[in-house]
Amino acid sequence: MTEPVTVTINRREVSAQPGEMLIKTAQDNGVYIPRFCWHPRMNPVGMCRMCLVEIETPRGPLMVTSCTTPVSDGMTVDTTNPSVKKAQEGVLEFLLINHPLDCPVCDRAGECPLQDQTMAYGPGESRFVEEKRHFEKPIPISELVMLDRERCILCARCTRFSEEISGDPLIEFQERGNYTEVNTFPDEPFRSYFSGNTVQICPVGALTATPYRFRARPWDLTFVVSTCQHCSSGDRINLQSSQNRLLRILGLDSEPTNQGWLSDKCRFGFEYVASPARLTSPMVRDEEGELREASWGEALDYAGGALGEVISRSGGRAVAGLGGARGTNEDAYAFSKFLRSAVGTNSVDCQMDDGLDPRLLSGIVDRARIADLEGAGSILVWGPDLKEEHPTLYLRVRRAAQELGAGLVVIHPRGTGLDDRASVKVTYQPGRGGEVLSELMDGNGRMAEAREVLSNGPVVALLGRPGYGESPDLAEATAAFVRSLPDATILPLARRGNVFGALDMGLSPALLPGRAQRGTLAAQMLADRWGELPAASGRDCRRILEGLESGDIEALVLVGADPVRDVPDGGLARRAFENAGLVVAIDQFLTDSSRMADVVFPAMGFSEVEGTVTNIEGRVLKVNRLTPGPGQSRPDWAILSDLAARLGVDLGLVSAQQISQEVEELADIYRSVNWERLDWEDRDGVVVGGDLGYVPVFSQVTSVSPRSGEMALHYARTMYDDGVMMRESPSLRPLAPGSAAHLHPSDAARLGVGEGDSVDVTSVSGSLQAGVVIDPTLEPGVVYVPFNQPDTPSLGSVLGVKVSR
Amino acid sequence: MVEIRSPSVRRGWSESVRARASEIVKQYPEPRSAVMPLLYLAMAEEGYLTDNGMREVAGAVGLTPAQVRAVASFYTMYKRENPGRYLISCCTSISCMLLGSDEVLRAIEDESDVTAGETDPAELISVEHVECIGACGGAPAVTVNYELIEGMTTEKARELVRWLRTARPEAIVGAECQELFGGRRSFDWGAFDRDSALGPYPAFGPLGTVSGPAGDQEG
Repeated sequence: MTEPVTVTINRREVSAQPGEMLIKTAQDNGVYIPRFCWHPRMNPVGMCRMCLVEIETPRGPLMVTSCTTPVSDGMTVDTTNPSVKKAQEGVLEFLLINHPLDCPVCDRAGECPLQDQTMAYGPGESRFVEEKRHFEKPIPISELVMLDRERCILCARCTRFSEEISGDPLIEFQERGNYTEVNTFPDEPFRSYFSGNTVQICPVGALTATPYRFRARPWDLTFVVSTCQHCSSGDRINLQSSQNRLLRILGLDSEPTNQGWLSDKCRFGFEYVASPARLTSPMVRDEEGELREASWGEALDYAGGALGEVISRSGGRAVAGLGGARGTNEDAYAFSKFLRSAVGTNSVDCQMDDGLDPRLLSGIVDRARIADLEGAGSILVWGPDLKEEHPTLYLRVRRAAQELGAGLVVIHPRGTGLDDRASVKVTYQPGRGGEVLSELMDGNGRMAEAREVLSNGPVVALLGRPGYGESPDLAEATAAFVRSLPDATILPLARRGNVFGALDMGLSPALLPGRAQRGTLAAQMLADRWGELPAASGRDCRRILEGLESGDIEALVLVGADPVRDVPDGGLARRAFENAGLVVAIDQFLTDSSRMADVVFPAMGFSEVEGTVTNIEGRVLKVNRLTPGPGQSRPDWAILSDLAARLGVDLGLVSAQQISQEVEELADIYRSVNWERLDWEDRDGVVVGGDLGYVPVFSQVTSVSPRSGEMALHYARTMYDDGVMMRESPSLRPLAPGSAAHLHPSDAARLGVGEGDSVDVTSVSGSLQAGVVIDPTLEPGVVYVPFNQPDTPSLGSVLGVKVSR
Repeated sequence: MVEIRSPSVRRGWSESVRARASEIVKQYPEPRSAVMPLLYLAMAEEGYLTDNGMREVAGAVGLTPAQVRAVASFYTMYKRENPGRYLISCCTSISCMLLGSDEVLRAIEDESDVTAGETDPAELISVEHVECIGACGGAPAVTVNYELIEGMTTEKARELVRWLRTARPEAIVGAECQELFGGRRSFDWGAFDRDSALGPYPAFGPLGTVSGPAGDQEG
């Protein structure tokens, strides 16, 4: 921190950090200077001239734009004198020359900075009697965004966002002078994963979002602050509804997490909440084998009776649980308590055989915080393409590399969104990760530069599974190596909304609530409260599915998970469900998995329940309720509590708040969490510390190559896929890229196929037909197939696939 | 459902043009700095700037096509519509205006029967008025296909238009036109260099945007 300087604003002395822009100093000290183009999270441009103020100079008063004028010691500023007032009126009169004043039919009216500031600072009357300029109104510039160029005041917020923040400048100023307009290239739409942010920051109604257009007026909206549950970053959001219908999500500027930005998946991926396909009543499989609606009593009796039978016949260990990573901590805790104390099994997993060791994920020693990226000397990203799976984290890494000067090393099997900002990018063939790691550790050859970059501490490493052909041991071995780098911290990556909360609540075979391991003092304290804990060690997701297939596990309780679509080896999941003796599902939809269940309970979900979630860095955040659940749906914890009662066990769960308090009492690390404070002074969340101190183990990861005649498969997720939440959100559903086989040009030539031709991709567990995409970012010999696309069967977590015409 | 314009059929540059583009890019510390000379290259390649050309430039300098179009549409000398074979640009900025450029422009329009900003139906002659072309010492000045002619008069302007119509020269060479139609020059341009007389826009030659040695084309 440098010495603060003293500035006089409107005859009042305030202190400010040197270099800070005058507009910000004024705002921080309660003086609002009107503005359109200035945004606290973007570089200033001085486009709109609205923020003119007068400063004293040796040559007399000078009118300057306060958004581009850094404060200096002894500066005297006037923001309200008559000449400033006249300037403001003049600027607004100019801005309104071409603005159509179609406020009555404009979505922005009522929350429009131009409208508001015209009322507060405008001249009240225009002298402009000529014709305004005209454009075709409004034109779609992407599936999600409409552009009305007549309303645009050319503040450059949207174009700067797409260049500075999201790094995909698909919109730009076109033409010149009076003809200047914002537009896309004629045949290249604004298909950005972050396009919704430009709608939110547009100071007029020029950019509007198709999912929200004409749905409500701002003054009709009720809102509540909550946390996004699509990815695990814990983005803070404002949920807005009208007449009990969720209509819009806006990003909140929360310093530790999303800093105001959201991905379009988070912003528009809420429509599923009101989908007519939502379950409204419990369902039970009848004599003819069809699922039919049933009363709660009947369904609970049926599920409880059948589960009880399995337990009394084969013991609790014959039952397993899957899911829980999509709900709240309270739901996850109830699930964990249900399985361990009412059923008596440790076989539970909230990951879908696509993640990492739970001890590594939530218990790693030297775990990084997202904010560590800001001070990082260098960053290593070796995991999923952050742009696809952790979009707001992607923005943070991008900012660190682009604006804050951190070195960036990206290792991935194909091109990623960060490549243009990477100091070093290493592409490799899936399966050869072990070799790449050895090279990186030796620091020779092509890795010399990467090691050079990573010698700048502090190093922050974001590690996960780049694709499903890759062994999870690779991330752990990399983590073990990274610890030898200067001041290294590690952020292990897992993607589902509340997977870290679910792990903290014990939804994995190895961990109990509060990241406690079995056989420890903490586990003993838990047993005092829960009763005797099951002794047998549990199975993880893959072994649960194998157990169901072979009959070792007879019953499955599914909470908000769709293994048939979500497990990389979907064929295994399907066989497991077909062979399972009993499946009890708690879900919002009939998914490909819950469709095969014997009993399905309708669950409430996002925006319908309150509770807490834990994000990727262990930050506990509040989610809140705004809309009622459909039909007879109920929260997960209440359903599990009733089901336990049918097994003769009282879980003692009363409300989400009471469960949260129980967690605070039982789990040492959650002691710093306070339910009520999370909505107020702790609204940016509380990081729960007390990590396990799990030291990642280095193991030699053997490199595997596909057999001859096969290609190495890179099997990884895209932001939009065929998950049930995407499928039931009409605005996002068409955006899934669909099945595709990305091939290196040399492989395409070898196969004699071109862009768009159809090829068959066959693995041991499945086969699909896909259109060829020529992708020079791949290594030769690698085929990239996006995971879980509409109407595509699963290829399994295999390395080698045959690709043929 | 929102209808999005689908990508048009994409024709790429030939390998030799791409090679020349990458040569130009190498002359700059940052690839994106090469966007303006490459736009000339794209224009020389297809006669005017097409979407396809802008997309190629974007690929060569690592920008998005929208960013390239932002530059291209800012400057009027980048033609995004096909001009006639001969583009006559008449300067109407202050020095030329004081020395009678308005009359020169009127003479050109009258003789060619093309209003400034337009092209004749035969696509032979386009006429435009431009801002200062840096030839104030030789005002009034016009350019034909960006080749400068200084010291224009209304008579000479009419002759120029007639000459273009009848002679239909393969390439416009500034020095030659200056000899035929020009008057007072701002300064001596030096020896007339035939090597620069290449392609539809010889004036772009020094930018490295025109192909091959002179002999190839003439022989």
